[in-house]
Amino acid sequence: MNANLTADQRMRRRRHVTGAVTTVGGLLVLLIAAAVAWSWRAELPDPVASHWGKGGQPDAFSSLNGMLGVLLGLGGPLVLIFGLVTWALGRSSVTRRIGVAATVYLSLFLSIVVVGSLYIQRGLSDAREAGSVNGVALLAFLASLVPAGIASALIPGDVRQPTTAPVPADAPRVRLVDGERAVWINRASTRVAFYLAVPVVLVGVALAVWARAWPVLVVDAFVIGMLVILTTFVVRVDRTGLTVRSAIGWPRYRVPLDEVVQASVTQVSPLKDFGGWGWRVGRDGRVGVVLRTGEALLVERTGGRSIVVTVDEPAKAAGLLNALADRARTGA
Amino acid sequence: MLLRLDPSAEEPLFAQLVAQVRLAIARGQVRDRERLPAARELAESLDVNVHTVLRAYQELRDDGLIELRRGRGAVVATGAGRDHKVLLKAIDAVVHEARALGLSPQATAALLKEAFRT
Repeated sequence: MNANLTADQRMRRRRHVTGAVTTVGGLLVLLIAAAVAWSWRAELPDPVASHWGKGGQPDAFSSLNGMLGVLLGLGGPLVLIFGLVTWALGRSSVTRRIGVAATVYLSLFLSIVVVGSLYIQRGLSDAREAGSVNGVALLAFLASLVPAGIASALIPGDVRQPTTAPVPADAPRVRLVDGERAVWINRASTRVAFYLAVPVVLVGVALAVWARAWPVLVVDAFVIGMLVILTTFVVRVDRTGLTVRSAIGWPRYRVPLDEVVQASVTQVSPLKDFGGWGWRVGRDGRVGVVLRTGEALLVERTGGRSIVVTVDEPAKAAGLLNALADRARTGA
Repeated sequence: MLLRLDPSAEEPLFAQLVAQVRLAIARGQVRDRERLPAARELAESLDVNVHTVLRAYQELRDDGLIELRRGRGAVVATGAGRDHKVLLKAIDAVVHEARALGLSPQATAALLKEAFRT
């Protein structure tokens, strides 16, 4: 990496390269999948089975071109959207990681679903004889997870961008005496996850039994795990800065004291500002840990980054973070 | 929950921590059954020895304010966070009156302690 570039330029290049590479990669996966399926056209029944219903029997059919059209027509725009988000908003590594993981996951998932369901129809003269698609569905779900996880882990983190600029004078502060030590810790959590988990389990079990779609159970377990991980966070402000981590310790987001521009209290509307609840990316690439409507802690960070956390007593958290940042900068 | 320690104060650090957690519970900043931060995490954040935090937690347990369970850490005891609104208001009045009379915090505390004896 060129040492003459400023941290700002390096960060911009990082998100542009990441956005471009994942978009091209995602589109390539889709095109290769389409090419593989196309190469089987002589061995496939016409029409091919495109949907499996109750009892695991095919119940809808389509031409091969129609299937490939769905693959490219659905996958292409999705890859482009996530690539664009990474390119334009990926100032925080969290945003880039979410963008990359989503691109890899959905391009592989769609490819495996389409190629896999055609694979089991090779050599058939009539698509109605096609067997169960459960194995393909499970493979698509699980086999896409690992590469998505690896790809997002490979994304380089943020360049350190410390600042020595003072925290604005009008920012809220907790008054600390010389040498005083302080920590602010709170939990941000929601019960909604629990109320959501119940129907998810019931519907999942019902589907698995009624439609004999047992892969649904695996997806169910995954969704429950995500609900647990992404709905309880411990938020801490201390001499190291801000730390937001899920109840199991990961994922985790840190803002070191010397990267704090300023902290304040803001109002959050999950749907309007972040399009939903949980660990989100909002407008301008703002990272959001958004579990409810109302008061939230806003931490503006160097490099145009920022994070919002819906946690109780945000004024105290903001005041302490600003006061500690002051102290670190004046060397007191 | 905001916890602060002043190493230059006369009161030992563990006692300051006890007072801070007590205050947080009284003010309703932590609720019944809520989990307190792990001793190690708190020690790290406040730059004190883990045993200082553990000693504070033991004191709070002996006062019935928190429960300590192996593996689960410290949890605010049921009923510990009873409504302190009236008491806090009365204390505000005491402080106000003491200031008006020019009494020091120590002198005021001495009066309070004395009042408990009767």
